[in-house]
Amino acid sequence: MNPPSSPPPPEDPGIKLREHSYDGIQEYDQRLPNWWLYTLYGAIVFWIVYWFAHMIAGLATTDGAKVDAAMTRLAATKMASSIDVTNDKLFWEMSRNPVFTDAGKQTFVSLCVPCHLPSLRGKSENPVAVGPDLTDTAWIHGGTPKEIYVTVAKGVIAKGMLAWEPVLGQKKTAEVVAYLLSHHQPGETITAEVSK
Amino acid sequence: MSAATPFPKPLPPGSRRPAHRPAVDSVTTINTDGSRYFLYPADVRGVFTHWRQISAALLIAIYLLLPWIPVSGHPAVFLDIAERRFHFVGYTLAAQDVWLLFFGVSGLGFALFFLTALFGRLWCGWACPQTVFLEHVYRRIERWLEGDASARRALKLAPMTASKFFRRAAKHTLYLVASLVITHLFLAYFVSLPEVWRMMHDEPGEHWAAFLFVFVAAAGLYFNFAWFREQLCIVICPYGRLQSTLTDDHTLSIGYDAKRGEPRGKLHRDQATCNLIGYKAPEVKLGDCVDCNRCVQVCPTGIDIRHGLQMECIGCAACIDACDEVMAKVHRPAGLIRYDSFAGLSGDVTRWLRPRTILYGVLLVVGATVAALAFSSVKPANFLVYRAGGAAYFVGADEVRDQFMVRLVNKRTAPATFIVSTEGLPAGLRQSGFESPVTLAPMAESVSPLVLQIDRKVYTGPFKFTVRVRDAARTFTLTREVEFMGPDARLLEEEDHDKGIKR
Repeated sequence: MNPPSSPPPPEDPGIKLREHSYDGIQEYDQRLPNWWLYTLYGAIVFWIVYWFAHMIAGLATTDGAKVDAAMTRLAATKMASSIDVTNDKLFWEMSRNPVFTDAGKQTFVSLCVPCHLPSLRGKSENPVAVGPDLTDTAWIHGGTPKEIYVTVAKGVIAKGMLAWEPVLGQKKTAEVVAYLLSHHQPGETITAEVSK
Repeated sequence: MSAATPFPKPLPPGSRRPAHRPAVDSVTTINTDGSRYFLYPADVRGVFTHWRQISAALLIAIYLLLPWIPVSGHPAVFLDIAERRFHFVGYTLAAQDVWLLFFGVSGLGFALFFLTALFGRLWCGWACPQTVFLEHVYRRIERWLEGDASARRALKLAPMTASKFFRRAAKHTLYLVASLVITHLFLAYFVSLPEVWRMMHDEPGEHWAAFLFVFVAAAGLYFNFAWFREQLCIVICPYGRLQSTLTDDHTLSIGYDAKRGEPRGKLHRDQATCNLIGYKAPEVKLGDCVDCNRCVQVCPTGIDIRHGLQMECIGCAACIDACDEVMAKVHRPAGLIRYDSFAGLSGDVTRWLRPRTILYGVLLVVGATVAALAFSSVKPANFLVYRAGGAAYFVGADEVRDQFMVRLVNKRTAPATFIVSTEGLPAGLRQSGFESPVTLAPMAESVSPLVLQIDRKVYTGPFKFTVRVRDAARTFTLTREVEFMGPDARLLEEEDHDKGIKR
């Protein structure tokens, strides 16, 4: 190992040495490439413009405003395609239209049959089934279409009935309700059923 | 061939540097005032140049052709972002398999470590897209339109004439065309060629993201290959900087045999034509290096390899070919500049087997083995079992119930039928859901409930069981262990006892 000594002078007299010396090691003080410096200056200028536009002048839309606008658009689209889920008459109309009931049946078969059985008869058909009978006129959580919609949409957490609206969306949930109602008649007598 | 232009090279205006000569204490391509010193590397011929041209042609062909070759209905390499399916020569991965990327990236890292420890920067000189496109596409265009190094240098200094203008315009047009071809094909890897073709015929506004990407990336490539060039390797690329931590005295690199070459000196005519005419040997016996500077003139990063291995060296071997050609002319053995280790160049034997290469090799083998196992574990379907929302379990009058959701993903491009079954369930347990096989459309997925009920008189506490998915053709099986949750059985017993229910 060579003893610490001052570094050899650079071949080029244009290169300066920095004054600092660390354990006998000195650094050359070379100029950065111009393209590198221009990139840095450009970034600084960009930062000032960006900061001015966003924080001072309010020229640019803030992220918060963009999110709000997007949420408003989303809500508008939803509302445009949403239906009045408190309108019993509408549900009864849907329940007589095969476009809705067929789509509802498809969802029902893939998601609801493990508890309510393909026949919709649940515990009436098989006492060990999880879900209650959906074809009889006795209802635990209300038998009007809008009450049935709420039961399907929000679920009955204590019993294990899941909230399906967050999963399926309003349209598919309403279709399932229409499919259930296709097993019923408008104006039939509704009785209250006490859960076992 | 242009004659060797002696140093100093003509200086660009504004440079304060007295003589622009490669030195170890500064970067050749950056002048003292920070301006760029543009290089004009001379033409070179030889074995390595020949093989580099062949390997580059092969690599470019692979890059350009992969999106055109269909393998089982998809391009050979197709990273389908829209469908989240990634096709590699008939092997399809889904978004759910993204964890394999870890093995891909770390595998590349280990392989690079291992190869760097053995062979130095083989990657940079032979396979890096920067070198491949620059040397074998853009510099070729430049060479074709503007001539060799001295002609290019002269053109740069010449006043603007119609001829110079058209040559320059043609060069930059071809640069732009090449950049656009590269970026359009790059896009094809992600959206497929027919889709790129369709987008090219639509209004840019309809696919503004793709349009912007292709043109901004092409502008970046144009800037890089037309002007930036070796600055990327010297200042931006981290691999060159990592090099010093990955290599040692026994790593193969391109080096100058100083023992043989020094002291360098100009060749004297009488020395070459022998002693017949009364040649008197010089006082100092000169080495083999004739100081012709060819190695410096051909260097694409502007270094003098005779200063030893430097950070700028991309290992392109141009100086080897240049020196070998000169050595042949002066009837001296080739290999004054050659692929060799520091040890080899100083007269020792290169040791290939050393702690570093063994460690990197072991890491590579371990990594490759784990990666092979991981990739072989990928099945054409994914499945997941999770607890349905609400309470973790439900206790009824007669039963304890757990509700699960089973998510199935068909990763195949053909319809598939899956049989979901449960194993390790105690007797007296009732399962509903998945009584019959599930058929999924190509690349479709489904989520369905799986409900398990156990008679509370039989229930003895939480237990683990297995959910198994087989495809109907029995080519694979996937399993997951799930816990059936419930209260402590003694609590139920007590409750029944309090209510007077007989068990």
